Amino acid sequence: MMDAPAVAARYFDGKTSRAHRVEVRVQDGVLHLSGEQERACPLAGLRVSERSVHAVRKITFDDGAYLEAEDRAAFDRLLLASGHGDSWVVRMQQSWRGALLAVGATVALLAAIYLYGLPAASAVVARHLPVQAERMLGVGMLEMLDRHLFAKSAMPAARQAALRSAFAQLRPPEPDAPAYRLHFRKSSIGPNAFALPSGDIVMTDELAELLPEDGQVMAVLAHELGHLHERHLTRRVLQGSAVAAVTALVFGDVSNIIAGVPALLLDLRYSREAERDADDYAAAMLRHNGLPLAYMEHVFEVLEKLDKSPSGYLSSHPITSERLARLRNARP
Amino acid sequence: MENTQAAWPQEAQSRELKLEFSATGSEYFRIWIVNLLLSIITLGIYSAWAKVRSNQYFYSSTRLDGSSFEYHGNPKAILKGRILALVLIGGYNLAFKISPLLGLAMMVLLAVVMPVLVWRSMQFKLYNTSYRGIRFGFDGDKGAAYMHYLWLPLLAGVTFGLALPFVHQRVKRFQHSESRFGSSKFSFDATPGSFYRQYLVFFGIALVGAIVVSTAGTALGYAVGNAIAFGGAQLAPFFALIFGYLWFFSIWPLFQSRLQNLIWNHTQLGPHGFRSELKWGRLTFIYLTNLLGVILTLGLFTPFAKVRALKYRLESATMLAAGGLDDFVAGVQRDVDAAGEGVADLIDLDLSL
Repeated sequence: MMDAPAVAARYFDGKTSRAHRVEVRVQDGVLHLSGEQERACPLAGLRVSERSVHAVRKITFDDGAYLEAEDRAAFDRLLLASGHGDSWVVRMQQSWRGALLAVGATVALLAAIYLYGLPAASAVVARHLPVQAERMLGVGMLEMLDRHLFAKSAMPAARQAALRSAFAQLRPPEPDAPAYRLHFRKSSIGPNAFALPSGDIVMTDELAELLPEDGQVMAVLAHELGHLHERHLTRRVLQGSAVAAVTALVFGDVSNIIAGVPALLLDLRYSREAERDADDYAAAMLRHNGLPLAYMEHVFEVLEKLDKSPSGYLSSHPITSERLARLRNARP
Repeated sequence: MENTQAAWPQEAQSRELKLEFSATGSEYFRIWIVNLLLSIITLGIYSAWAKVRSNQYFYSSTRLDGSSFEYHGNPKAILKGRILALVLIGGYNLAFKISPLLGLAMMVLLAVVMPVLVWRSMQFKLYNTSYRGIRFGFDGDKGAAYMHYLWLPLLAGVTFGLALPFVHQRVKRFQHSESRFGSSKFSFDATPGSFYRQYLVFFGIALVGAIVVSTAGTALGYAVGNAIAFGGAQLAPFFALIFGYLWFFSIWPLFQSRLQNLIWNHTQLGPHGFRSELKWGRLTFIYLTNLLGVILTLGLFTPFAKVRALKYRLESATMLAAGGLDDFVAGVQRDVDAAGEGVADLIDLDLSL
């Protein structure tokens, strides 16, 4: 093996901060220092720092002593000639082709995780988590809403009872339907219906007034039962935390407020997906009980009239025309 | 001070040694993206190795008087710390979702363990930094850690922030006077009064600026709103909000630069002093352009941004060396685990400067 010429370096013994001027050679795999300090050690037993264009390269001995080269390029040549190779990570870091490959792979991987990996993983976790765990997430929520947003329902007791028993008599489209409690409330937030993690399904009087036929109310309640059945709330918590953690890692250094924006936009897609799942569940439930899908179409039409939000990507629900089209396409 | 100075061999000339930072955004970008990819593939486990690698790159790119710094952190220790941090922070968030009472209990638990973790992370960070083969170190004890990271912050809380500059001075004094390089201790002589002065100047400028900026934003909003016939009344608060955010973003570097200058101008290592000359305008320019760059590139500018900010902050510092730097002696060496380190990393306590 050809020996590269000796390279000037500064050697520190790890006991004092004094710099010793030395010359470094490598012969038959052994590192030799000469000059103000003499030392010889097999190169294989020493820690050689990674090759870099702008950082100083060092060789560290077991006892904390180390040397740093003055001429980086000559030092790299010396190490290369002595047979000290770079790890594949260093080779990738030091080539633009490797770095661009890493950019492509990172973007593709993050997209795949976002689109498929995370939803699938959170669905598995949510399915294996006991229902009680999800129920705990919602403890106290209904009481808080009752205090701040809701009043006692003004709906006649007879209609409430009729709706309750009609929904109780519907057969769920899939086995293992979740337990639920149905509540009617007068609200200051207008027409709305939602399911809480505690298993409480709430429908506001304002929405019920817009749905004259019981079948239409059944469609809305089936949609909310779908959220509970699919464990959407647990899944959203899991997915939302993961997205927030990653965006905070990428943007958090620069600004926490800025980091919240992509997290919010990315989370909205999961929200729309959950709504589509719940729509599918509701459609299946109507069909399973021989109820016409026209009930659900009517609900969508009512929602469309109420809806003032402009665009698809900024919305927590899919646009109504898309929901209608999906429903019509799914018809046998 | 006289005693320490006598112990040091005095050479004729005192020298001004500037910190030099030779890392570049383009080299760090390649290190960052390759290690980010590996971290994702390994579900975050590799991130500890990635952290060691990028720290080694930055430390070896920082030079003082011709010699560079070195980072010695052990990735396995950092990984353990990160797992502990994840458990603590995850548990804290989950506890509040389950019940407020459990959340409160978790908060108390965190308050009890945090001071020790912060102290340990200081030890880890300094012990794993070396210059010219001599390791830094951090002394202090558990009692002092509770004093400075639990009781004093509580004091700042119960006085509605009036004691904050005092607490800040005490914490910095603790951090800087318990640090050592080898067997030589750092010392710190900035007074609480000088901290109060900086806080007053900061709040004065922040308040006046906020009034000026939001007025200007509102006026501009009206002007633009009327010009494009869109209704100035709607546009005005929007403009005021944007201007307010930009001002909030520009005022933070003012605080950071003034405090960093104050702290380092009053820190000594034996007979050697330091000088920090951060400028508000330049730091703000760097932060704002970094923000813009990161947004426009969807995050790809992040490594460039980091190098730019680090380069400016490091190269604003000068060591006022009384004579040569050849006479430091290594201290007693102990191993410090990274449990503290990982927690500080994730919740971003500013322990660096």
